[in-house]
Amino acid sequence: MTLAAAFGFLPTDSFNVVALIAVFVLIAVGLHLTFGLLDVVNLAHGEFLLIGAYTTYQVQESTGSVVLGMLLGPVVAALVGLAVERGILRFLYRRPLDSLLATFGLAVIIRQVVQLLYSANPRLVDDPIGGSFTVAGLNVPWWRLVVVLIAAAVVAAVAILFARTRFGLEARATVRNPTLAETSGINTAAVRATLFAVGAGVAGLAGAVLAPLNTLDPQYGLLFLVNSFLVVILGGKGSLRGLVVAAVVLGGSLAILQFVISTAVAQIVVLVIAVAGVRVRPVLARMIAERRERRGAVPS
Amino acid sequence: MTPELSVHDLSAGYGGATVLRGVSLRVPAGSVVCVMGRNGAGKTTLLRALMGVLPKQGRVELGGQDITAWPGHRIRAAGMAWVPQDDAVFPGLTVRQHLEIGRRGGEGDGIATAADLFPILGERLDQEAQTLSGGERKMLGIAQALVSGPRVMLMDEPTEGVAPLVVEQLVSAISAAATRTAVVLVEQNVDTAVALGSDAYVLEHGAVVEQGPITELHRNGVLERRLAL
Repeated sequence: MTLAAAFGFLPTDSFNVVALIAVFVLIAVGLHLTFGLLDVVNLAHGEFLLIGAYTTYQVQESTGSVVLGMLLGPVVAALVGLAVERGILRFLYRRPLDSLLATFGLAVIIRQVVQLLYSANPRLVDDPIGGSFTVAGLNVPWWRLVVVLIAAAVVAAVAILFARTRFGLEARATVRNPTLAETSGINTAAVRATLFAVGAGVAGLAGAVLAPLNTLDPQYGLLFLVNSFLVVILGGKGSLRGLVVAAVVLGGSLAILQFVISTAVAQIVVLVIAVAGVRVRPVLARMIAERRERRGAVPS
Repeated sequence: MTPELSVHDLSAGYGGATVLRGVSLRVPAGSVVCVMGRNGAGKTTLLRALMGVLPKQGRVELGGQDITAWPGHRIRAAGMAWVPQDDAVFPGLTVRQHLEIGRRGGEGDGIATAADLFPILGERLDQEAQTLSGGERKMLGIAQALVSGPRVMLMDEPTEGVAPLVVEQLVSAISAAATRTAVVLVEQNVDTAVALGSDAYVLEHGAVVEQGPITELHRNGVLERRLAL
């Protein structure tokens, strides 16, 4: 029996479930850095994806190389992110309403600039590989497999950055106690600027590699904004592990429900799952902590 | 001789409220200068302003260099370290990671230095700092400041709220530290301050109202009167 048949209700292209989970991971990792860690309610997150995607499109049109575009997309998004952090957001930390309004305005401006430059007409980015292969009865498009691998690599890179590097240690210190970090010798302004730029760059990477899977228009980033926030909030702000679990739950649910119901209803159900998950998570965390405590207790 | 730390006419506060008013003090190398005063007198505000955490007016010199407008990380790199009264740990980071952060720019093995000073920290290196007892957190705060080899240490009530046995260890560590660095010690306990300090400044309503050798201020009953003991 093939894997696809084992999940009888799913068609042979059910690798899309895995691919959609990877998309959820990719779009949320950048937001994990800017919103989850820096606490900036970054409503321009989708527009950093837009910048990555349109940079890829522009380079493809200018040079004929999609891959070069995908390499430059995150760089351009990171540079714009750095300019935004230095020029606007560094004055708005610990002012969530102000940063929300600023990033909302920024998102509108970026969308309008893209529309001025490229019009609202749909644009296409080529699939750099094309084609697909079949394994265990599943049809696996090559580019979707690459997206899955890139998502895994991005999560691994971010995890290593925070767990194994001096910058990661200083970033964790900055996020958890900024005043103590600054007076311990950490240049917290530089750490925040770097974190925001990396977050914007990862969003740009997501926009670039997802571009061949979608039609581009100036509203492209909005497609991903809500789901990015849902993943980060359900996963628990600041938790990379939680983010991956949330992406599996939400991305998996959306992908499966799209097949068995409809896209609109699936999105509503995903929203309900996210809200319920946020309510249930503290209860689960407490139960897990109590169980660990009981296991660790020395019998009298 | 140029003092390690020299403060001229320092004013600082929070938002629109001025807390410190024209404070001046001198901290010679190798001395422990105590800053005393009742709750709300401005002692913690003084240390926060010196570390660049609060905006301020006046002039602050470290080793003769004007550091008034420097941000906190640059002040720390120049050799001034701060041991805050509360909130002195990074949640989720281990004792070892705190010492690695503290050692930034310093020489030698920070972990060995800290374990020499407080052996209990050597046994807790991989424990998350927020799970330490109050006394152990105070030890970690001092160790984290000391491992960078500072020229001046600002210590905000390091013995407050800890058990007498731990107070002894902390006092002993501060005495040892004072052989290598100048110390500005905010301390409410007169006996501890007199045991450690060479000079004292007493603050009231954000201004210096008494200053001089601490034994003299103690002998004349000035400290007791000002602190209403």
